[in-house]
Amino acid sequence: MKLLAKTTVYFLSAMIALLAVTGFYLYRQFSREIKNRSDAELLTAESQWINYLQSQADIGTTFIMRSKELSVFPTDAPPQPYPVISDAEDYTIISGTKIPYRQLTHVVPVNGINYQLVIKNSQEQKVALMKNFTKVVLFVFAGLCLATLLFNWIMSRRLWRPFHQSLQKIKAADLQQMKDMRFDKTGTYEFNQLNESLDAMSRKIYSDYISMKEFTENAAHEMQTPIAVVQSKLELLLQDGNLHDEQVQSLLQAEDALNRLSRLNQGLLLLAKIENNQFQAEGEVSFAAITSKYLSQFSELIHQKQLQVETEFTNDFKIPLHSFLADSMISNLLGNAIKYNYEGGKITIATTAHSYEVGNTSRQKAIPPDKLYKRFGNSSELAVKSNGLGLAIVKKIADTNNLAIIYEAGNNMHSFTITRKKV
Amino acid sequence: MKLLIIEDEQALRESMVKYLSYQGYVCETAADFLSARDKLSLFNYDCVIVDIGLPGGSGLDIVSEVKYLESKAGIIIISARNTLDDKLKGLELGSDDYLTKPFHLSELNARIQAILRRRSFDGNKTIGFHEIKLYPDQRKATVNEKSIDLTDKEYNLLEYFISNKGRVLTKPAIAEHNWGDEYAQAGEYDFIYTHIKNLRKKLLDAGSGDYLKTVYGSGYRFTDL
Repeated sequence: MKLLAKTTVYFLSAMIALLAVTGFYLYRQFSREIKNRSDAELLTAESQWINYLQSQADIGTTFIMRSKELSVFPTDAPPQPYPVISDAEDYTIISGTKIPYRQLTHVVPVNGINYQLVIKNSQEQKVALMKNFTKVVLFVFAGLCLATLLFNWIMSRRLWRPFHQSLQKIKAADLQQMKDMRFDKTGTYEFNQLNESLDAMSRKIYSDYISMKEFTENAAHEMQTPIAVVQSKLELLLQDGNLHDEQVQSLLQAEDALNRLSRLNQGLLLLAKIENNQFQAEGEVSFAAITSKYLSQFSELIHQKQLQVETEFTNDFKIPLHSFLADSMISNLLGNAIKYNYEGGKITIATTAHSYEVGNTSRQKAIPPDKLYKRFGNSSELAVKSNGLGLAIVKKIADTNNLAIIYEAGNNMHSFTITRKKV
Repeated sequence: MKLLIIEDEQALRESMVKYLSYQGYVCETAADFLSARDKLSLFNYDCVIVDIGLPGGSGLDIVSEVKYLESKAGIIIISARNTLDDKLKGLELGSDDYLTKPFHLSELNARIQAILRRRSFDGNKTIGFHEIKLYPDQRKATVNEKSIDLTDKEYNLLEYFISNKGRVLTKPAIAEHNWGDEYAQAGEYDFIYTHIKNLRKKLLDAGSGDYLKTVYGSGYRFTDL
């Protein structure tokens, strides 16, 4: 629900309650006033009638009168000290509305004869008052409704403008350009508070991002240098002609392990860099072209394993992606397709306008989905030759570039398909 | 040929000096930015090998300094930073090559030789080893002045072997130099054997001595010993 709608609803519900209470109170006051006045009228009428009766009694006649609004007749009932005023049970109908009566009854002795007096007063005024009241209250409510909506709309446009400006800026925020992000001073205290906090926050995020970037690069530097030292020493040691075979083997194994360590380090750094969005697409890359490049680079390995490569490049798969990431993605997928293949196996590669698929024969079991893209998730016997990061890197590249990746295995074939992610 | 090796990590510096001296270079060293700059202004070098991260300044500034001095020295940057930006920046400033740590000393040596050859103006653009002669510009090889027919990979192998003559070259180093980084990643080097077998046969058939020796278990060595 929009803030504007919410404030309007709250405001109007408060108004309704307030108007109801006021309306009820006013109505009661007015209706009591009218009753009092009507009762006073009844009393005046009674005293006039009593006077009239007394003047008539002097002449020595009994008086009887029965009309709708007035009945005077002698009665055997004992006289009453006070008149009784109550709501009558009957009513008149004026233009379809029931109009009740207020009536006064009194048994008064006039010159020894007890008279029953019944005087009725129409409550027409009160009914009209109630009608008018409802009208006025409804009218005020409708007016308030309109005024509130209009006022809130203007307020939201005027007062909330700085807020919406800040919101737009945050929405369009990009890590790389956060350095130049500024939230200007406004005329409102609260928004100034907000903008100051946003300013501080964006500066913090940017500096964290920069130090993270620096850290990844420094980490590479700090780790690769000792590795380089060890590697150079191993290489020099290998030149020694006096070494036993066993010693040579140990040196080679050490060099092999060192190589893996170095690659692992580079792979982890690459993952961190991809996570930091340090690779922005510069243009569209052609998956068919890059695949051809790597097929010729890997030709020795393909030849050695006597793999049969089937390519289907009639339609190219072209997407905006940093060329380094495209290289990394394709070389990893092709590398795996070769590595996990068997001698004389098959690799199929197909591009369509919407997808890129690499399939290979393998005696490996299907990779369980929970281990598929996990770093170091590989548990196969070939794991020694893998750094365990290849698929994690492929997945990370896909995730950060709006690509989906689908893995299928069956019939001794494993395949990875890359498509644009449906938005 | 005189080299200046600028690297702050003492152990790595010593490894480079040891390997390159054996290959016949005169090696001088500097461990920080200022001493490197002093040496550059005082002496002439044929090739400068410089690390980017140095105490007292950036190796990239050394590259600018070399260019400013109008030195004829070739420049190889060695850096732990494997980013495209750094590589482009280095090459833009005028370095001839960029090598990422860790590297094989044999690879560094091969690159130094390639640069020196490209920069030599005395016309000596061939590489020789006894009766074998290489013409890098044409990527051709002769044995006793008779041309031999080598594939691209075989020529690369031969040039790499002769550049690092006398040294044991491991399969990973050979694979990385001739087939690229991705091959070293694959961890399978059996295909190298086929190429080396063919190269050796072609050299022997052309009448050259048997210089390409298998070092049992570790790799290969090109030597007349």
